[in-house]
Amino acid sequence: MQLLAVKLGAWLPLAQLATLLPLAQGHQDFLQERSGQGCVQENGFFCFQWASDNLDRYVTPALEHLELVVISVAAGFVIALCLAVLSHRRRWLVPPITGFTGVLYTIPSLAAIFILLPITGFGTLTAVIPLTAYTLQIIYRNIVAGLANVPPAAKDAGTGMGMTDRQLLWRVELPLAVPEIVAGLRIATVSTVAIATFAFFAGAGGLGEPLYADINFKTNVILSGGLAILMAIAFDVLLVVAGRLVSPWRKVRPV
Amino acid sequence: MNEAPAANTDAGEALSVEFRDATKRYDGSTQPALDSLSLDVPAGEICVFVGPSGSGKTTAMRMVNRMVEITQGDILVGDRSVRKRSPAELRRETGYVIQQIGLFPHRTVADNIATVPRLLGWERARIDARVNELLGVMGLDPELARRFPAQLSGGQQQRAGVARALAANPGVMLMDEPFGAVDPINRERLQNEFLRLQAELHKTILFVTHDIDEAIKMGDRIAVLREGGRLAQYATPAELLMAPADRFVEDFVGADRALKRLALMRVSDIDLWQAPLAFVGQATSEVRAKLNGAEVPHALVIDSERKPLGWLSEADLAAETVPARPDTSPDPVVELDDVMRDALSDLLQAETRYAPVVDARGAIAGVLSVEIISEFLASPDALTEERPAAERPLA
Repeated sequence: MQLLAVKLGAWLPLAQLATLLPLAQGHQDFLQERSGQGCVQENGFFCFQWASDNLDRYVTPALEHLELVVISVAAGFVIALCLAVLSHRRRWLVPPITGFTGVLYTIPSLAAIFILLPITGFGTLTAVIPLTAYTLQIIYRNIVAGLANVPPAAKDAGTGMGMTDRQLLWRVELPLAVPEIVAGLRIATVSTVAIATFAFFAGAGGLGEPLYADINFKTNVILSGGLAILMAIAFDVLLVVAGRLVSPWRKVRPV
Repeated sequence: MNEAPAANTDAGEALSVEFRDATKRYDGSTQPALDSLSLDVPAGEICVFVGPSGSGKTTAMRMVNRMVEITQGDILVGDRSVRKRSPAELRRETGYVIQQIGLFPHRTVADNIATVPRLLGWERARIDARVNELLGVMGLDPELARRFPAQLSGGQQQRAGVARALAANPGVMLMDEPFGAVDPINRERLQNEFLRLQAELHKTILFVTHDIDEAIKMGDRIAVLREGGRLAQYATPAELLMAPADRFVEDFVGADRALKRLALMRVSDIDLWQAPLAFVGQATSEVRAKLNGAEVPHALVIDSERKPLGWLSEADLAAETVPARPDTSPDPVVELDDVMRDALSDLLQAETRYAPVVDARGAIAGVLSVEIISEFLASPDALTEERPAAERPLA
């Protein structure tokens, strides 16, 4: 998906597109305030002076971005988990679900947003729907793979001791699939952080808003993109730590 | 395990298991996996299912807790048909141990052991008490309770697996090659511990193995199954060794079945010979007189507590009195409690014909010779002297 985003960015006259959209209004001040400062005029690699003076402009977009990612990944996780549980004892459901989520994954994000705009209007929902849809493929496949990797002996022992299918799933199979599930959430989260920069076209804000407001001003591009990268790294670290906390048995060493 | 607390507080009563023409036929297979098996396992006994792969031994065991559904016939556990019971309920009342152990890797040893009590909704305090009790019974350090299975040795994992199966005091235990994945030395130890435990618990146990030696050691009764899931013979270990029903059983039991019988016997099970006894300081002339026509043609010197000191040599006998330190040491000294197989091995290793046999206090009880053992193996009364293996665990 990151690849897709890069390609789109390359062939779409994004700045032009942004000025065509009503929500791009109100960001002219970015340009206005650039005047009169030396390093801003030069438009070098990074203007520290301007960055430190204008950092507060990025707080709201960053928080919106965070919100979009959390909502989308959480919704994607819940839906993918339901699909995985549904298809766990009905193996024939796995190929169609994998196929369907795969098709969702291939829809270009901007196209999805523009298709949804007349239906759901400007706002968070229009951004969250495609973002959620993109997470399904990765999270679903990882849950299914995690469940498939549960040691058969543990399942046999669980059933043989009188666990029902449901007890086996929630007490044995899903806990043992946690490492794979966390791995899926990490990939899904990092890619959602990247794709969420398009949310601005749905009127949902996020770090795409300052980014597209002036893509010629390098300091702005680096600051917007850098915050997104930092957010992706932070999410990744958080998920690794959380994953270790919920699966303490994995790091044990034989004694 | 010797000093382990008794495990039979609120013990579940051992139940009998009856196979009644129990048959399993898998879809698309012409030959049944288990063909009309009928046999009774009395409550409190170990029944071993043994046979080559494809003989249906594991299938037979797994039909008891409905891990494999019965195609035809029935199985009664404690006179109740398993077909009429809910599988989950039946399984919670049936202990289950598999070769791969199947401990839950994400749960601590204590949580693993608590699995069935939790499914049954026991109170927390009762579960904790039961877990601690079982750790003791199985000889597991209480410190291991909070470890994860990956932190345990193979033997410890196997003990934890057995503890988990025992947790809710099942009336019947199903054990599928429970010691199969353990190295030979640990396997022997686990077998012995388990027999000792069984002597206390008196569970009904269905035990699956492909190893005839293990079957002979563990079983009160052995069901030998052959390809196609047919029962070849159902008998006590001694009967199986003495009178194999057919060529298949004979071959399966092995050419060394006569020697295997020795593993079932103790030295105290047979009539020992008596050697002329000599006390330290006694006149050698008296000893020489006793040697005439004695079963053992050598005199054994004993001390005031009747402990053997050694054999008198010709040189010793040439002296006036019996010396306190005879020329020939008494070794190997065998105990009445020793397994016959080990005693024979001692004799052969020491390259002697005779070994003094002592009782638990070390006092002389008789003499064992290679001849006694070979005569015993040839005699038919061996059968009548057998006692179930569980009552006579090997040291």
